[in-house]
Amino acid sequence: MAYVATRGGERAIEQSERLYRAELGRIDAARVTAVRQTLPMLIDRVMGEASLYEPDLAALALAQSGGDLYEAVLLLRAWRTTQPRLGIAEPVEQEQLVTHRRISAAFKDIPGGQILGPSLDYSHRLLATGVLQGHPFEPRPVEPAATPAPARQPSLAAWQKAQGLVADPPRAEVAPDDIPDLTREPLLFPAARAHTLQSLARADTGGMLALGYSAMRGYGNAHPTVNELRLAEAELRVRHPRGTVFSAGRVKVSQAEVMAKGKSGLLELGFCATLGWNEVKVISGATLDLNAPGAAKGSPVEEEFFLYHTEPVEASGFCIHFKLPHYVTFQSSLDALRGARGAAAPIPEQAPEPEEVTA
Amino acid sequence: MTQLAAVPVPDAFEIRTNATFEALMLALSRPGSAHSLPAPGMAGLAETLLDRECQVFCDDPALAEICAGFGAALVPAARADHLFLSLDTPEGLALLEQAPVGSALYPDAGATVIASARLGAGQRLRLTGPGIETFTDIELGDLAPGLWPLRAARCRYPAGFDLFLICEGRVIGLPRSTTIEVL
Amino acid sequence: MTIATLTKPWQAFSYGFLDASAKRELRRKMLKAIAVPGCQMPYASREVPMARGWGTGGLQVTLTLLKPSSVVKVIDQGADDSVNAASIRSFLSKVSGAAETWDTLAATLIQSRHRIPEERLRADQVLVLQVPNPEPLRPVEPNMSVARQMHADADYGRLWLILYEQIVRSGRIMQGASYPALVNGRHVMTPSPIPRWDLPKLHMAQHLTFLSAGREKRLYAVPPFTRVEPLVFSDVPYKVEDHAALTCHRSGVAGYFMNEIPQDGGGSVFELSDSHLGIKAIRRRDGEDVALGATWYENGKMPR
Repeated sequence: MAYVATRGGERAIEQSERLYRAELGRIDAARVTAVRQTLPMLIDRVMGEASLYEPDLAALALAQSGGDLYEAVLLLRAWRTTQPRLGIAEPVEQEQLVTHRRISAAFKDIPGGQILGPSLDYSHRLLATGVLQGHPFEPRPVEPAATPAPARQPSLAAWQKAQGLVADPPRAEVAPDDIPDLTREPLLFPAARAHTLQSLARADTGGMLALGYSAMRGYGNAHPTVNELRLAEAELRVRHPRGTVFSAGRVKVSQAEVMAKGKSGLLELGFCATLGWNEVKVISGATLDLNAPGAAKGSPVEEEFFLYHTEPVEASGFCIHFKLPHYVTFQSSLDALRGARGAAAPIPEQAPEPEEVTA
Repeated sequence: MTQLAAVPVPDAFEIRTNATFEALMLALSRPGSAHSLPAPGMAGLAETLLDRECQVFCDDPALAEICAGFGAALVPAARADHLFLSLDTPEGLALLEQAPVGSALYPDAGATVIASARLGAGQRLRLTGPGIETFTDIELGDLAPGLWPLRAARCRYPAGFDLFLICEGRVIGLPRSTTIEVL
Repeated sequence: MTIATLTKPWQAFSYGFLDASAKRELRRKMLKAIAVPGCQMPYASREVPMARGWGTGGLQVTLTLLKPSSVVKVIDQGADDSVNAASIRSFLSKVSGAAETWDTLAATLIQSRHRIPEERLRADQVLVLQVPNPEPLRPVEPNMSVARQMHADADYGRLWLILYEQIVRSGRIMQGASYPALVNGRHVMTPSPIPRWDLPKLHMAQHLTFLSAGREKRLYAVPPFTRVEPLVFSDVPYKVEDHAALTCHRSGVAGYFMNEIPQDGGGSVFELSDSHLGIKAIRRRDGEDVALGATWYENGKMPR
C-alpha cells in the first residue's frame, strides 16, 4: 500500500480557496469603488483596526475577503508590514482638528458649542423596506445653518485644567521620531503610554465594546461621563527633508475623553483615539483607559488584560487556529489518560511484520 | 489570489546581511568557533543589526557615523544596546564596565558588544556551556588583560553582555552563557 | 534632498517578504535568544500574510534565515502534506526562491508545528518550532507580568506543585504535550506542543532550535549542546508516550511516535506520525534506493 505519495494537502487548500472565491466572483475596480463609496463607516472601522489609512485599500480588502472583517484587517496589516516608513507626522493638537461633530455630556453647553454633526443617534431605526419594492431611499438635503460652526474647536479638558478640575501633569516633550512604536517594538507591561494609546487605536471594535461595556456595567470602578467626543479630520503635517512642514492631506479621526471623579478629588480622564470615525470604539476604549489605573490583575479593566484581548488579528487568528489538526497533542494526552487508567494503548490486530528503520 | 512576481532574487545588501547574520548566529550558538563574514570589519555587523530602534556606542568616530546612518541613536556606553569597542586598551575596558547587562527580569536588555581581537594566538581560554559539547580551548590576543575578570564580574547569568570578536573576516561569539576559564 | 531620495523604487514585496528593518529586529532578538537559552525574548512580531496562531512566529524566524540556497521542509503534526504545512511551505519558496523538500535529510531549514522529525538533525540544520503559547507558567499564572517576575526569580515551585498534584490524583504525571523543561539549568520553557516523545531530542542536540510565538510576540532558542531537562521528580522518571511497541500499518515500521486511527467496529490502527519517514520506508521496502537517516530513537528507545 502506498503512503501519501499524492500531495493531497496542496490540492485541497488550492480548491478550498477557489470554492470561497467562486462565491465572491470577479473583483474589479468598480466593485472596490462601490464598497468604498457605500460603506464609509465600515471602511473607517477596518482602517482603524488595521492602523492603515487608505480607503481604497480598505475597500479592496473588504471586497477581497467578501466582507469578513478580520480577514480584511489581516490583509491590510500584512500589506502595511511591507511598506517603508518615509516619515513621522507632526503631532496634532485637539484645537487644530477640523471638527465635524463634537459633543459633551458633562455640560449643557461648552466653549465652542455642542456640534451635533452627522449622526444616526436620533434617527428612528426603521428599515426602509420600500427600497426593495422599487422606491429608492433618497436622503433629504441638508439645510445649512445660518452661521456655520467654526471648523476648529477648543479642548474642553483645557478649560477644565484651567479651572483646576483636572490634574495637569507636566508634559513630557518627545520628539516625533522618539515616540515608541508598537508595530516595531513589543508591548510590555506596564506599557509605555504611547503603546497603550496605539494599541487602543488599533483594537477590535467589538472586543473593545465587550470589555468597555463590562466596565460600564460595574466591573470597573469609574462610571464614565463623556467629557468630549469628536469626529474630525486631522491635518497630516510632515516635514520635508529641507525642513519645511507641509500638509500631505487629511485623515478622519475620532477621539473620546471620558471622565470620573478620582480619589484625589480631581476629575480623572480616560482617552482613546483612532483613525476613521468610530464612536463606539473610542468611548469604550476611553472607558477602559479611565478604569485601568490600579485595576486588579486579571480584571477586564486591567491594561494587560484588555490590550491583549482586544487585538483583532491576534484574537481572531488564535480562535480560528483551533481548526488546525491537533492530533499529536491529543495523542499525547490520550497516552497519559490511558496510562493513568493502567490500560496500555490497544495493539491493532493483524499488524504487518515490523521493519526496522535504523540506518 | 495574491500575485507575486517571478522568483524573487535578493539584492547585494540582502545577500550580505543574510550571510553576516548567519555567521553571527552560528558563532554565538557554538561559542569559540570561528565563522567567515562576507566582508572584514565591523561595518557589516552594523548594517545587519542596527536600526532606528537601536542605541549605539562606538569609540571609532567613522564607524559611529556609519551606525547613525542606519538610524541608530548614538548614546553613552551606559545606555547602549550595541557597543563597538576597542578592548585592547584600559579605556576600552572602562567603557565595557559600563555596558548594560540587563537583569534577571529583562535579560534581553544586556548589550551586544563587538570588538576586534586576534584569533588563534594569545591568551589560552577554556570555554564551557551551551553550544559546547564538553569544552573548547581557544587562544585570543590583542585584548587587555583585565577583560576576562571584568566579564566574569559583570555577567551574572542570565544578566550579562554578549561578545562578538572580529579578526579580519572572521568572527567568534562569546554569549553570556559561556563560562570562560583563563588557562 | 527630496522625498524621492528617502524612499526606494516601489516593489511589491521585499525578498523574503519581511523588510530590512523587520529582519534586523528578528536578528537582534534571535541572538539574545541564543545567548540566554530557553528565555523568552519579546519582539514586535510583524503581521505576515497568514493568520496569527497559524505559524506566524515560526514564519518570521524562517523568513529571516531564508536565502536562495536554502532547502525548506515544513511539517504539521509530523506531516509534510498537511494543509497548513503545504500553505506555509509554498509561501516560503514563493517569497525566497528556496527549494522545497519533504526529506528531513535534505533540508537546511525545518519549520514544524508540534513535532520534531524522527531522523536526527545535524549541526548544519536549523529547526524552527511554531509556538502557540510560549509561557510554561500560564497554567499557574496567566498574567504575563507576574510570570516574568517568576522567571526572574527562578520561582517554579507552583509548576512543580501541579505536576506533584497530578501524581497524587492520577498516579502519574498527566501532562501530555508541551512538557515543561529546564533549559541550561536556569529557565523553564515550554518546548511547544511537541509530544513527550520529542522533548529528549532537544537535549544536547547537534542542531540549533528556535521557538517562536508570533501572536504572543516571544521567541526563544535552544542552542546545540544545551541541557534540556524535563521537570521530573527523582523517584518518578520521565515517561514518553507508550509508542515503542506500536507498528505503522502502512510501512510496517515500529518504534516511533504514531498517529492512532480509530477503526469501524472498535480498535485502532497506527501510522507513523513522521509521514516522510514512512514514505521513505515504503519506498525502500519496494526496492528503491532511498536513504534513511540515523534516528534519535533506536528500537523504540532513546539511547543515552
